[in-house]
Amino acid sequence: MDVALVGFGTVGQGVAEAIATKNHVLEQSLGDKVRIVAAFDSSTYAVDKSGLDPLDLVKRKAAKGKLGKVRKDSIAEMLKALDYDTLVEMTPTNIKDAQPGLSHIRAALGKGRDVITSNKGPLALKFRELANLAEKNECELRFEASVGGATPVINMARELLVCERICSIRGIMNGTCNFILSRMESEGIPYEPALREAQQMGFAEADPSYDIDGIDSACKAAILANAIMGLDITVHDVERTGIRGINLDAVNLAMQERKVVRLIGEVTSRGAEVSPRLIPRGHPLSISGTLNLFHIRTDLAGEITVAGRGAGRYETASAVMADIYTVMKLRRSIGQRD
Amino acid sequence: MRVNVDLRLKDVPGQLIRALEPVSRNGGNIVGVVHRHDQISAGRIGVNLTFDVPSEKVLEKVQAEWSGAEVDLMRIENIFETYPLEYVIVGDVSAAEMKRITEGIQALGQVESIDVKYSISSSKDKAAHISGKVRDRDIIKKSNKFMRERAKRSGFVIIRGFGD
Repeated sequence: MDVALVGFGTVGQGVAEAIATKNHVLEQSLGDKVRIVAAFDSSTYAVDKSGLDPLDLVKRKAAKGKLGKVRKDSIAEMLKALDYDTLVEMTPTNIKDAQPGLSHIRAALGKGRDVITSNKGPLALKFRELANLAEKNECELRFEASVGGATPVINMARELLVCERICSIRGIMNGTCNFILSRMESEGIPYEPALREAQQMGFAEADPSYDIDGIDSACKAAILANAIMGLDITVHDVERTGIRGINLDAVNLAMQERKVVRLIGEVTSRGAEVSPRLIPRGHPLSISGTLNLFHIRTDLAGEITVAGRGAGRYETASAVMADIYTVMKLRRSIGQRD
Repeated sequence: MRVNVDLRLKDVPGQLIRALEPVSRNGGNIVGVVHRHDQISAGRIGVNLTFDVPSEKVLEKVQAEWSGAEVDLMRIENIFETYPLEYVIVGDVSAAEMKRITEGIQALGQVESIDVKYSISSSKDKAAHISGKVRDRDIIKKSNKFMRERAKRSGFVIIRGFGD
């Protein structure tokens, strides 16, 4: 399968490395390999119909800070002219207008190409448009990496639980907030120092509002609501309260009741919400640290919990590789049918 | 509503069905039946029955049918199922604000109990824990809405319980 990698930051490089190390697994299982025919970072690109060496791309990026030639046209324009089977879109999330990822995905789906993305922006703002475009052009739009990093919540719900009625999904959808709240509770550290600690350890950005005001969790809740509950909402429809303002007094009062404070994303057929909640100790959602966790309630299976690392180079690559495998498998079955 | 009753029936086969049928026939749901073999006297046996009925009117109908079927009603008691209500609020937890909150929740009706616990702290923003029990799940939704409105007006942060 010929792929175009768009976005060559931490996630893009992780995916290139994963392709290099796991291609033999794909070949053994499916009789086909991934061939990278194009790779783009924010300003440069490399194209080779016969295939680019993924590890060479990573080395080039690390050594020179670029992949190849300086790009003159937009990536979306170039994608329209390129020959590839699947776009792997890994540009950073932009929650204002979802660009440039949205244009990349539109260009690929518009051309009938399968798309795999880790980018939350286009999905949190334009999910239904993109899903409809994929359906109309009979191609795949897969996005496991956009929610929960390595935690396989979307594909599990949509594929393994396909016969279930999913009543609700509640989750720890942001590791940074969970780290801050866990530190406040376990070490008695006030909110501000706990936030600074998260920043020093690289869990939180210099401007942490995207995490602590619940925007990141709201994006994920919107994606889950659309993808699993069949709703048509955007991140702006998610009722949202972050953890800003939660103090040690509140955490201690919760502890006296044998509870912990956690920022919970909740999705039901009625909509989505992100808010701090009082979780009984011992409940799966009372988990400490930076993990992401999803607690799914269904009619037949009852309660299912899945947890894993929510972010990171190889963790996100793991989810992208799972989608690559599925797209290759689907393409093979369509080929066999034809 | 959930009802618990003590009945007395003739201690002969087929009598229990005469006690249960009026409940199911009128749309009730039987939750539990306990034979009281220790309560046999004058050829009648005690039975404790727990069931749900949609309204008082239906319960009256059931009672009338028991009366006609020689089922003696010895004791009747309403059991209210309760649902937990819980919040931690951070910010202005002055006595006046807490009074407004607890009175506001109580005004929603069907509130069985409500308790408030304050944090002991010298910090500017304090916290309070509000817990209670309500008899109707819908009251929790109404209470959540009320708390959100109060939080906006008074500028405090709410941490909601997990029971809704």
